[in-house]
Amino acid sequence: MSSAEPNFPPSAAAPAAGLERELGVWDTLLVLTRREFWEHRILWVAPVAIAAVIVLCALFAHLDADAVGAVRWQTQAAERSTLLALVQWAVSLPEYLVMVVVLNFYLVDCLFAERRDRSILFWKSLPISDGMTVGSKLFVALVVVPLGVYLLALLTGLLFLVILLARAAAGHFPPGLIAWDSLTWLKVQLLMLLALIVAIAWYAPLAAYLMLISAWARRNAFMWTILPPLFAVLIEKIALGTDYVGRFIEYRTWGIWRFLHLESAVHTAAANAQNGVSVSRLFAEIHFAPAFANPDLWLGLAATAALALAAARLRRYREEG
Amino acid sequence: MTAVIEARALRKSYGSHPAVNGVSFTVQPGRIVGLIGPNGAGKTTVLKAILGLTRFDGELCVLGRDPRAQRDALMREVCFIADVAVLPKWLQVRQALDVVAGVHPRFDRARALEFLRKTDIRLGSRVRELSKGMVTQLHLALILAIDARLLVLDEPTLGLDLLFRRQFYETLLNDYYDKDRTIFLTTHQVEEIEHLLTDVIFINRGAVVLDSAVEALAERYVQLIVPADQAAQARQLKPFYEREVFGRIALYFDNRPHSELSALAGKLGELRTPTIADLFVAKLQGEPT
Repeated sequence: MSSAEPNFPPSAAAPAAGLERELGVWDTLLVLTRREFWEHRILWVAPVAIAAVIVLCALFAHLDADAVGAVRWQTQAAERSTLLALVQWAVSLPEYLVMVVVLNFYLVDCLFAERRDRSILFWKSLPISDGMTVGSKLFVALVVVPLGVYLLALLTGLLFLVILLARAAAGHFPPGLIAWDSLTWLKVQLLMLLALIVAIAWYAPLAAYLMLISAWARRNAFMWTILPPLFAVLIEKIALGTDYVGRFIEYRTWGIWRFLHLESAVHTAAANAQNGVSVSRLFAEIHFAPAFANPDLWLGLAATAALALAAARLRRYREEG
Repeated sequence: MTAVIEARALRKSYGSHPAVNGVSFTVQPGRIVGLIGPNGAGKTTVLKAILGLTRFDGELCVLGRDPRAQRDALMREVCFIADVAVLPKWLQVRQALDVVAGVHPRFDRARALEFLRKTDIRLGSRVRELSKGMVTQLHLALILAIDARLLVLDEPTLGLDLLFRRQFYETLLNDYYDKDRTIFLTTHQVEEIEHLLTDVIFINRGAVVLDSAVEALAERYVQLIVPADQAAQARQLKPFYEREVFGRIALYFDNRPHSELSALAGKLGELRTPTIADLFVAKLQGEPT
């Protein structure tokens, strides 16, 4: 990074006394972000590998035109756009799934690994606060990686469609199976971006919880992420016979998606379309406002801040060993 | 001149075991201070307290700051090598330079590169591919390129061979140390560094046993070596420790008038200034338990 280069001439003498460059918070955050991708290469390798596989599929897959009823598809414009949307989703989904898995491992490991190999003593010999360290890792998990995967999925989807259209033009596929439709494409991308933002906001406290365990556990960090909620559910069941903790965990896992009215959107769109599902109808039925209006989403963000502060606090004095 | 480190009655317990039990000392700028003690004496705990890495009771002021409350500001002026194993294994040399340049306002990349050029370390290598000695060289290159006022070293040459150890301290003296900078280090290989220390602090069982400038040691401590059959007479001068050396007896005296000892030496044996290593053994073994 050229911005990180010292901007004074090299000197053979000892550094001048009082020499001090200006380093802003963003400079430090940039270096710490790069550091995460150097240490946890899986963060970018895994999604890129999946994207590569998807592109290879587009290049070499054989499609039996009769089996998918290509002739009928040719005529229906609405269905062509539905198919375009489905391709976009299908291509993105594996990348998001692998991202979720990779991020879970990353979050549990990120503050644990540096204590395990004692490299925390190197990091602590540098003027980086614990808050900055924890914040940079959360920034990577909640902003850099999700938005990076979003862009990657967008590019993969485009490449996939271009290859498909080119192969159709070359006669490998029946023409008219998929047609480019800018409006549909844009709508699908917007929909996925909004869904991603909802997901980030909703799952942020889970991410911060995993980091807290990572900062706290002396060994078996993965086991410790599961044990406390498991015991809480069991103890509640045995002692009180109730299931509030379990329901709370379930709510924090899937609950937000109910607010988008996805199911009813699919039903309505299907019921109103005589010739297959209409994509524009589907979009009209999905609402993001209720998700953002849900106070639990904002409470969760507050909990995220509290958990991250606790993780930073733990890192401060959690002596290695 | 204000002190670099001012420690008053430091205390720290692990469970019921006191690791540091009321340690007080002062370190002035421009000194090279060796904190010397056996394993488990509390050396590392004192260092961790100075670096704000552990909680403790007592007063501690490092470069005018409290390491508990102002650690982040403090680390802009303090450098620290824990031991050779703490550089992350996955880190490339080039990345290490990027990291320190990106977070340390007082880092001079050109200087670090210049130092690395004198070694066999390549910029593309990862720490895990380097030998133990090379990892230390890398860490030293990073540290020496930082314009820090205080350098704290915890057993920095542990596990290195003689050549690297020698080189490490030579580089430290030639390329880092000057009258405005202070080095505070722990080691138990006293013999190797006694020529470069300006001050020593002996610590045993969590307490300071000796705290002195090196040049004052010769004034205060004297070693009298006598044949075994003369030992009884020499003992009347109340040595605080004695040991047998090749059939003769070495007796150690603290603050005895030199005239008195010289007179005796003339009759019985010879007077010597004990080395720091000798003194270390004498103070620790001679300490009432």
